[in-house]
Amino acid sequence: MRIAIPKGRLQDRALGVFADAGYDVPSDADLKTRKLVFDRGGIEWIFVKDCDVPVYVDHGAADAGIAGLDQILEHQCAAYQPVELPFGHCVMRLIAAPGAPSLTRVATKYPRITRQFLEGRGLRAEIVTLGGSVELAAVLKLTSHVVDLVETGETVRIHKLVLQDVIAEISPRLIVAKNFHGTEPKLSRELKVRVEEAVNAMR
Amino acid sequence: MAAKLRYPTGVHPLLVDETARRRRVETRFVDQLASAGYAEVVLPIIDYVEPYEALVDRAANRQSYRFVDREGELIAIRSDFTPMLARALSPTMREEDLPLRLFYRGDVIRCEASRLGFKRELFQIGAELVGDASVDADIEMLRLVADLARRPGDEPAIVYNDVSIAAALIAQSGAVQEALAEKRMTSSVPVALQTIVAKLISGEATLDDVAPFAPEAAARLSAIGEALGSDSTFALHLDDIEEIGYYTGLRFRVYAGSARAKAAQGGRYDNLYERFGQPAAAIGFTFTIDDLD
Repeated sequence: MRIAIPKGRLQDRALGVFADAGYDVPSDADLKTRKLVFDRGGIEWIFVKDCDVPVYVDHGAADAGIAGLDQILEHQCAAYQPVELPFGHCVMRLIAAPGAPSLTRVATKYPRITRQFLEGRGLRAEIVTLGGSVELAAVLKLTSHVVDLVETGETVRIHKLVLQDVIAEISPRLIVAKNFHGTEPKLSRELKVRVEEAVNAMR
Repeated sequence: MAAKLRYPTGVHPLLVDETARRRRVETRFVDQLASAGYAEVVLPIIDYVEPYEALVDRAANRQSYRFVDREGELIAIRSDFTPMLARALSPTMREEDLPLRLFYRGDVIRCEASRLGFKRELFQIGAELVGDASVDADIEMLRLVADLARRPGDEPAIVYNDVSIAAALIAQSGAVQEALAEKRMTSSVPVALQTIVAKLISGEATLDDVAPFAPEAAARLSAIGEALGSDSTFALHLDDIEEIGYYTGLRFRVYAGSARAKAAQGGRYDNLYERFGQPAAAIGFTFTIDDLD
């Protein structure tokens, strides 16, 4: 079995869940090396950028992984999402530049979700796809709005941005490839049950 | 100006070796289908959008390439053979001709709204048994699919289920759909359905559990299970909920090859033909050939 762990924000807590579930996960010392693949207890742990977890799982290059709903939606990931994790919750929102100008351009890391949101509301705006720090686009008046995740709201407050519509409640999930579940139902169910028990114990 | 080196996303030419491989697989399939009593039909590569609009949901509609032809009609490039066969057969089909055993082959083009790099041009071979609603037809199709997928040293895995179970539960509450699709229990599932949905998700559900909600499906699945006996190629996964679409009963998927990739899928769609005029039960499957040996 190969499990994809998102590097960055969710990495430590995601590994913590698997450790609580009794899996032999790579140690901190392991992670200080530049290796990206670790074989522990018969499981291959791979470390990839958070937005790539759905790609690996959808293509069957990983059997399961931890991915945020933002990345699942953006990639239209078809994997099962059997367990929601009790941390890292945030909200995807439409955020206006200071003074809340009218909607003309939206900067985002999530062009597909943004396009669907705009279409759903019958709004017309140009979408500018950026790799990160998207709030800056509104601060510097590159765009009138941004679509991004809001966790504490600190960035929004500091830059006097204006919170507008809620697009989606975002939480990280255990995702399991459909092909893996179809061909290895026992392993897939055991993984789900163990992660679920670990998660319930954290609540 | 230099000619472009690249192709549109998701398509590429097959050169000599790949073409030879494709033809080898194709010939084997065609020979096997012909000896199983299936006759070939050819369906057009483009068709009007309008006749199909009512039966496929918006998401499925959007996966086809569309354009307006010179007469101003909206046209789609073939993205699914099954509704096209129903539309082609329905006007002239007579009761006494049934059942029909037919197969077809060709490309379908799908503009997958995905950045994941899936192929857009897929070569498919499919077969359908029209006009036989019996469970024997279900069993015949499952066995045929297994025979086609079976290669020396590579036993396929075939997962089957009946979509009418999920449909019966979803009819009682829309919240069931999301829970089954994501395999995660949510509090919006009505209390009366919580036990059965939880059992389906966890994989503990048995035919006895689903029988009160979908008695006919449970009886058919039990008959299929008996007929297939101990053949380990087949596995009943009551928790396996594919998108329901136009399917009404048995639904199956085939995993084959060393990568255990999805090689074929199919199922029963007993309401499809009546939408084109002539009611007839039907069951079929499609292999996507590109990755098979």
